[in-house]
Amino acid sequence: MADATEPIVEFLNRFTRALGVNSAVDVEQTPDGPRLNLSGGEAEILARHRGEPLKALQHVVDMAYGRALPDEQRVFVDALEYRKGKDVELRQMAKLLADKAKQTGLEQQLGPLNPYERRIVHLAVAEVPGATTESIGDAFSKTVLISARK
Amino acid sequence: MSAVRDVVEVLARALTDQPDQVQVRESQHKGTTLVELYVAPGELGKVIGKQGRTAAALRTLASTAGEKEGKPVTLEIRDGKP
Repeated sequence: MADATEPIVEFLNRFTRALGVNSAVDVEQTPDGPRLNLSGGEAEILARHRGEPLKALQHVVDMAYGRALPDEQRVFVDALEYRKGKDVELRQMAKLLADKAKQTGLEQQLGPLNPYERRIVHLAVAEVPGATTESIGDAFSKTVLISARK
Repeated sequence: MSAVRDVVEVLARALTDQPDQVQVRESQHKGTTLVELYVAPGELGKVIGKQGRTAAALRTLASTAGEKEGKPVTLEIRDGKP
């Protein structure tokens, strides 16, 4: 597992060096795959513009190294835990809406979500007894419907 | 050495199967940085991607590098040699 991660860490180090950003790569192995976080204050430049540079870097890593990982594993690229913080917020919001759906009996939904974000919502609501989720929408804009289990 | 040029080169080398064929030229035009990325013939798809998503990612990251120098960046992608 570490073997597949090493080239990605080396790539990220080459990238930050080229960018002239002083940072280190922290590696955390999870069942979903390695989480790579760029630490060091200068990595803040990647979290600007609502994290667009980070999304772009994630895409390049997926294209270049995604297939080298075993099974269903996925690399997760972050800087200063910016995306991790966003994920925690999304989880909290999903659980809050699940409770609301149970109390009111009304379906709840978040704004448009990408596949990664929808997965977070599904997994978060699955931890709330009595609430259920369903992905809805077309190819261009999907979201997750959160409702009380009937 | 320029950050914009170096960043584009590192990214393109990671994406292609023939990294030694990657060449990047940089020039200045009225306050804008023009970056020309050359990859091996047949590897254009690797740096452009489905619906240009990889090309868009390269432009975003090239602009991030340009941001440090306070200059807008234009990225042109070509195959073959300069």
